[in-house]
Amino acid sequence: MTGTSFLYPFLSDGAREAGPLLTALARSAREKSDESIRLARRTLADNEAELVGTAAAIAERTRAGGTILALGNGGSACDALALVRLLSGREGLDPRAHALSADPAILTALGNDIGISQVFSRQVGAYGRPGDVAVAFSTSGQSTNVLDALEAAHKTGMLTVAIAGYGGGSLAGNPSVDHCLVVESDSVHRVQEAQALLSTVLCERILRDGSEAATP
Amino acid sequence: MTGTTPDDAPPGPDDEAAGRLAACALDLAGRFAAGATLWAVAPGREDHASHVAVEFVHPVIVGKRSLPAIAATGGDPTDRVRTGARSGDLVLLVGPGDDPVLGDIARRTPAWGLTTAWIGWGSSRPDDCGAHRLWLDGDAEEDVVRSYHLLWELVHVCLEQPDVLPGVGADPASCPVCADDLDLAEVAVPDGDRAVVRTPEGTTTVDTTLVGPIRTHDLVLVQAGVALQTVTGDAL
Repeated sequence: MTGTSFLYPFLSDGAREAGPLLTALARSAREKSDESIRLARRTLADNEAELVGTAAAIAERTRAGGTILALGNGGSACDALALVRLLSGREGLDPRAHALSADPAILTALGNDIGISQVFSRQVGAYGRPGDVAVAFSTSGQSTNVLDALEAAHKTGMLTVAIAGYGGGSLAGNPSVDHCLVVESDSVHRVQEAQALLSTVLCERILRDGSEAATP
Repeated sequence: MTGTTPDDAPPGPDDEAAGRLAACALDLAGRFAAGATLWAVAPGREDHASHVAVEFVHPVIVGKRSLPAIAATGGDPTDRVRTGARSGDLVLLVGPGDDPVLGDIARRTPAWGLTTAWIGWGSSRPDDCGAHRLWLDGDAEEDVVRSYHLLWELVHVCLEQPDVLPGVGADPASCPVCADDLDLAEVAVPDGDRAVVRTPEGTTTVDTTLVGPIRTHDLVLVQAGVALQTVTGDAL
């Protein structure tokens, strides 16, 4: 038995022709796409009220001059970079946003000298001010360095936002987390895809809420 | 919020798109099995390139093998791939069909000996040198992420079926403007009426008398040690 033979039982006897494999792969791709799209839509619907409140709270901070610090590990580090990208591009009007996963020199220095658990919380200590916003991505909802960073941000007087899978994990209901957007799935890939949609809608709303308030 | 209910039939990939994804995964798996490294390029969306790299190098599913992948970020992506990639490697382009940097890389990859896949969108679908074109309806973040997640998943399924993988000696994607006896080459060092050029087989010196003045990084069609024609972007 190979690792995926339970998904492709007819292949486990040693396929020799590519045709049946390609047919199975294409079907699998369609099924997983459907699953992903359904989950993302459901996630958006389930989080609608929290999304509205979260975006309004973030826009309130950024209008007052607050900076968004985005963070996460691995693919979620990329989500943090993407959040900053999605909020930028309108010169002079953008909210200030920075990804704590952006600089390999800082990440490796902190990781090597202090430990991976501190790579974000130390940066929150360096950059974070009262009135700023921390937005953390965690597909598992359990990443220690993410939890530590949000706790540090909370103590600093920052608004704290988590976007998390596995039902939110330890981030859901956490006293250091002001807003938690949750994906109800335990498939890392499907969680990340739903998080990408949540992040897009969140950024659209932040930009809109910020613009509306900026109009006299 | 979306105007749809969660149970509406999702507009996922149609049969043709899913078939292209499957064929791409099988090709990529064969290259990985032969020792290829994947180079991810996403100008203006470098987070996607990094995401692709971490996906392959450090799989989220325990037990899946690490596959070499590098995000061509933090500089000129064309130069990163040109100087970093070895013949037989893979390039995954992520971005709109009219992206000039991606288009330029796509037309050079046959000279570098690379197999190219392009996760793209937009009405411009360059009919470049044999790239696997994985086209999306738009640039929605979740659609882009899903497409390389699925590609990663299918590559690993293929790697568990070694009997059907393309062989090590399988030809890289062929270039539609090149006839069988013509090779695409990239000029490395022009030198009077000769030039050192890069081809999938390595560097070689060719006679450039017939094509006139050429510059570093020009693309030329070569036959039997003679450059016959300069290739411009419009020709591809």
